[in-house]
Amino acid sequence: MVHKQGVGDFPYYVGINSLEELATKDDRVVVLNILGKESSGVTPVSNDYSGGNIVFGTGPGKSGKSLTTKNGKIPVYNSIKEGMAAGHKFNTVVVYLPPSGVKDGIAEAVRDNPGLEKAIILTEKVSVKDSRIMRAICQMNGVDLFGGNCLGLADSWNHVRLGGALGGNAPEESLIKGSIALFSNSGNFTTTIAVYLATAGWGTTTSVSSGKDVYIQYGPKEFLYALDKDDRSQAAVMYSEPGGYYEKDIKTDKPIVACVVGRWKAKLSKACGHAGSLAGSGDDALAKEKWFMEYFGVDGIFTPENPIASKKGALVTNIAYIPEALTEVMKLNGKKPDFESKGSLALKSWFGNNQGLNLPKELDTPVVEAIAPYNDQIEALDKQVGAQYRRETLKDTSGASMMDPKSQVSKIHQVSILDASTKTFEANLVFALCREYPNEYGEKIANIALNAHVNQFGQATLAAAEASRENGNSPNTVVSGAVAIVGKKMVEPAMDAAKALLSLFQFAKFSNPLGSYDYKDELQSAKQLKDALIANGDDFCADKIADCLGQDTQSTFIKFLFDFAKQEGGKPSMDAMIAAIWITLGWSGLKSKKITKGTITRLPWYSRIYSTIVGVVASADKHSDDSFCGVKVEKLLKEFSFTRTAFLSLMGREPSDDELFEFQVLLGLIITNGPGTISAQGSKGAVSADGPEMPDRVQVNKAFIGFLTHTGFAHGGNGYEAAAFLIEQFKDTSLKAADDKNHGLDLDAMALEYSNKYKAYKAEQKTIGNLEYAKVPCINHPIFKGKDINFDPREEFVRKLFKEKGISNVFLDYYHSIVNSMFKAKVSKNVYCVNIDAVIAVILLKMVWGEYKAGNLAEADIETSSFATFLFGRMIGCAAEIDDHTFRGKNMDTRTPASKCSYVG
Amino acid sequence: MQITGMLWGRKLLDLVEYPHSEVRGPELSVDDIKDMIKRHNEIFIKPVFKGGVGKKGKSGLIGRAKNFTDALSEKERLYFAKHKIGNISAKSDGVTYEAAVPADHEVYFSISDSTIHRSPAMTLTHHGGVDIEDLPEDKIAVVPFEALTGLKAFHVSNALVGLGAPTAIISPLVQNLPKLWDLYNNYGMTMLELNPIRMMPGKGGRYAPLACDFKCAFDQDDPAWKRLELPLHIFAEDNSEFEQEINQLRTYQGQSDVYVINDRGTITAPTFGGGANAMVTELLGEAATISSDFGGNPPYEKMHEISNITFKHWLEQSNVLFIIGGKANNTDIYETLRAIGDGLRGYFQANGPKPLFVVVGRGGPNVIRGMGYLRDILEALGVPYRFFGHDSAMSEVINYAMGINKWMMNGGKEEIAAKMNIK
Repeated sequence: MVHKQGVGDFPYYVGINSLEELATKDDRVVVLNILGKESSGVTPVSNDYSGGNIVFGTGPGKSGKSLTTKNGKIPVYNSIKEGMAAGHKFNTVVVYLPPSGVKDGIAEAVRDNPGLEKAIILTEKVSVKDSRIMRAICQMNGVDLFGGNCLGLADSWNHVRLGGALGGNAPEESLIKGSIALFSNSGNFTTTIAVYLATAGWGTTTSVSSGKDVYIQYGPKEFLYALDKDDRSQAAVMYSEPGGYYEKDIKTDKPIVACVVGRWKAKLSKACGHAGSLAGSGDDALAKEKWFMEYFGVDGIFTPENPIASKKGALVTNIAYIPEALTEVMKLNGKKPDFESKGSLALKSWFGNNQGLNLPKELDTPVVEAIAPYNDQIEALDKQVGAQYRRETLKDTSGASMMDPKSQVSKIHQVSILDASTKTFEANLVFALCREYPNEYGEKIANIALNAHVNQFGQATLAAAEASRENGNSPNTVVSGAVAIVGKKMVEPAMDAAKALLSLFQFAKFSNPLGSYDYKDELQSAKQLKDALIANGDDFCADKIADCLGQDTQSTFIKFLFDFAKQEGGKPSMDAMIAAIWITLGWSGLKSKKITKGTITRLPWYSRIYSTIVGVVASADKHSDDSFCGVKVEKLLKEFSFTRTAFLSLMGREPSDDELFEFQVLLGLIITNGPGTISAQGSKGAVSADGPEMPDRVQVNKAFIGFLTHTGFAHGGNGYEAAAFLIEQFKDTSLKAADDKNHGLDLDAMALEYSNKYKAYKAEQKTIGNLEYAKVPCINHPIFKGKDINFDPREEFVRKLFKEKGISNVFLDYYHSIVNSMFKAKVSKNVYCVNIDAVIAVILLKMVWGEYKAGNLAEADIETSSFATFLFGRMIGCAAEIDDHTFRGKNMDTRTPASKCSYVG
Repeated sequence: MQITGMLWGRKLLDLVEYPHSEVRGPELSVDDIKDMIKRHNEIFIKPVFKGGVGKKGKSGLIGRAKNFTDALSEKERLYFAKHKIGNISAKSDGVTYEAAVPADHEVYFSISDSTIHRSPAMTLTHHGGVDIEDLPEDKIAVVPFEALTGLKAFHVSNALVGLGAPTAIISPLVQNLPKLWDLYNNYGMTMLELNPIRMMPGKGGRYAPLACDFKCAFDQDDPAWKRLELPLHIFAEDNSEFEQEINQLRTYQGQSDVYVINDRGTITAPTFGGGANAMVTELLGEAATISSDFGGNPPYEKMHEISNITFKHWLEQSNVLFIIGGKANNTDIYETLRAIGDGLRGYFQANGPKPLFVVVGRGGPNVIRGMGYLRDILEALGVPYRFFGHDSAMSEVINYAMGINKWMMNGGKEEIAAKMNIK
């Protein structure tokens, strides 16, 4: 073979005599493709770590540019020739070219620089053919070649690294001066092993990341030759993977710890991981283990339990055992570690959360403070309070709701509306914004906040709603008038109080707002925020709220507020109490980064809007200075859930327990149908138009108006169709109450009679060519169809729920009779499902049936109630959309580009 | 990427005009089979396997026939034959009909890149037709040669003389074997083997060195093999659907090597770095779904795509998502963990929550930023997790992940499902 004669008696050229010479202060480096993505990140660190050893870089067509480093700018030339003509001299070339260009880069460097000594190839996926050609070129010209797919060379003593990123962006952390030379097939493990060695007190001399392509250009034998000549290095650690005969018949005067990993790779039929780690029959991991064991004169693998080692070395198959094995081998050689051990390799969790699980003790590793500098970084991270979403176009997408296309069940914050319907109205209103359900105490204080502003007596909101109502508007329009008045200024004091509490507590290390927390420091800091928290006069309503909140106080924030007021000799303001309630409700979600800081400080605004919408649905005559719909405000605050209040507002009377439950289920089912629904689109559009990238400018009340104006007789009012159908069927019957199990009606017979009539009607309409004939509302479904008997799983869920509670509903039973009779009468080919909209209609009709039969309620009133109920339920989902879009969306992201619009005139 | 057998081998040999026995594919008609037997007196019937499958002869998977009836019955036996060598199973899809070559000598020949000599090398013996490993060293010539000039006639001649080969076979081999370097060197091969070459006496007693079996491997990183325009399906057997999807993302920026370990595994471990790949896969064993190396500083988009494909195939069955690597030198951990985190969130959004435990072991640039990002996502999803830095031994972190997996198999999964409100 043709090659220059180098050191030793190798059958090929080797230029490096001692490891000391591998990466020296005198080496001068040129980097090919210096401005490439990888190089431009790595090269400045290398240059700075090595004291500025890079003379220039190349990039075709990039002459005149430069790469900035702390050690000055590195000039860039079109070619090596051009750089040399500018007077630069170098002995080392580092190649960051893409694979197809690597061979040409080496040829260029060898040809244009007769003084070239070392060439280091970082590039991965260089072809075998190019590798063998480059080797031949370098052999003939006396150049030491390293790589490819390696991370280059580093020397802790010389404080130099050549080529790639050994030690990453902080080389000093890993490259600690010591007595051990490293040779590793894995670039990553070169650094990882260096870190591991430090835990046993061993530092490094020279580190070689050899790469693990089929051709390892600078191999173990050359390395060990240079090890013997290096007085600084007392021993070596070698990490080897299967494939190739590089480690066969090694020899050295110094001890070695060898780590061979990859027995499983014998199963491989193609490379995975390192390209060269594909072994034949004689060079797999087992064969390599055998070579080393024979050389060391040991009969087994070193493990902490069975520490087999000789003076010549030890073999491990787990890199974690390298430090211990090295210490053992060095002990046999009478050598002690280089320094005190640095840290340990024991499990140390930097981040963790069981999410409430009781893990077995051995798996419940505690979260501990990370080593420097990572501890400081984590602390800085912890100061980023709350979620921080990446903004994206949210036109038809949402981070709040989705509809599962298979089950047709919509979800809000990953909770299906079926599950949500088992929660109270107030719980869902909190959940929509805080992304966590409140517990019993949370619901209690939420009710206080929500009920506090439900009575609108004497306020502009009520006047606006009433004026709108009197002029014949639909419920959504009526409510919009009132919501328009709930502007930012109205809620600013409460939001300021929320901001004050957040600024005091945001970095406090507790996530459970109902646990114990010592806030004595905050009591002092709060003095400067007194104006935001303490009332500046007497307020009757605030006193009532304080009474309610003062009982069995669990919230840290409410307790703090009372203690602070006491300290200052005043009373907490009503706004501050409302703020403290909402901070309590949002705290856990904020701390677990489910919600943003912006959300938690805006909760009082949402709260006020919720109260207003529920309040103004009741006409003005139902509001008085001390009562709402005939219930004293004090009673409302102390005893009423917001679900009960909403029912009261809608029906003008209190519900029975069953009615309350049915009403809650009804509201839950309406929460959302995903981001594509018109109501969601309306709220999202309103947020988008305000420019959410400056979230403070987004007007929450205006966004609710967006939702409200995007409901109407077709979207929200259509539940009435089913109610009208049922009224038609039942108005002439003796039915007085829909929950009367002994109603005495033969529902099947009624249904069959109707179906037969309907069949005749349908036939007649078809005969006269009318395809727009009336359909029975709320049966059949585009997804839940085609079987002999069909069910809408959502309807099934609710029916089961009611059955468990012993709640009956004659209208729902009738609907099931209808679908069966339609089949019997051969109107349908199979038994249609009763769909979810029917459930909504039957619950609603049941609530009003008594009043209707007694003549106290007209059919038009039923329609209004139906629509208002829809608004209550849907405001939960739309609140979630509004908040989500505010903190995740982009300015004007709901618009459609003109190119996608068309003219049909 | 390997080819075995003469169905495709003969086409490659034709490119460099290397002689071979008559070989016909599965399309051969009944009349053609009869004709072939008539002309050659005897034919071999061999199953066609995709990818690299050897040792057919030893497994009784080579049929021979001197009459039409035997030929058909061998065809029937071998057309869909199954073959297992070590861990690799293969199923035949078709047969070849190859003319029996009367011969006085059998020769073994191969070219590969030798890690001993660190150059290309020829292996040659006139004691061919057997497993090369079974021959003593003195009966084999291993001849390294220059990469730049290639295999020359004198290499072949010197080797055969050195082995004491019969003089009559030297000249035909010297004349023909160097052609094979062109095939090896020009089309991105890493191994080329003809075994046996049967020395068929011709007119005037001169031998023709007919290739009677063929094997080669291509370098996936060398685009030269694409010039052959071989149909991709002949390599397809090598890759599972998952592997094929990931392979489409293969570029030089960032690794994307995957291998399915156990399609019923319960730990899915996106692994970073060739070293970590070797170690993690070794320690996880059959608990792992896949072995992977996604290191090499993959850009966000690529890592995100990899995550999506990986989750699509494996998350449903996994107890533990185990993101593992050493202390990265160059890989931006923020970018990789962000891409994985976004992928996981997307998966949950599209498929609903899954009872999962996430274990991370990693160090390197921007590690805390990356862990912080992933933490926030897991908190939002309600997924339990533990993240370890590079100062925890990788093997201990692997053991921890296996401990979690075991706990989940013994009821932990149900506990997580209940906490996550999954029904």
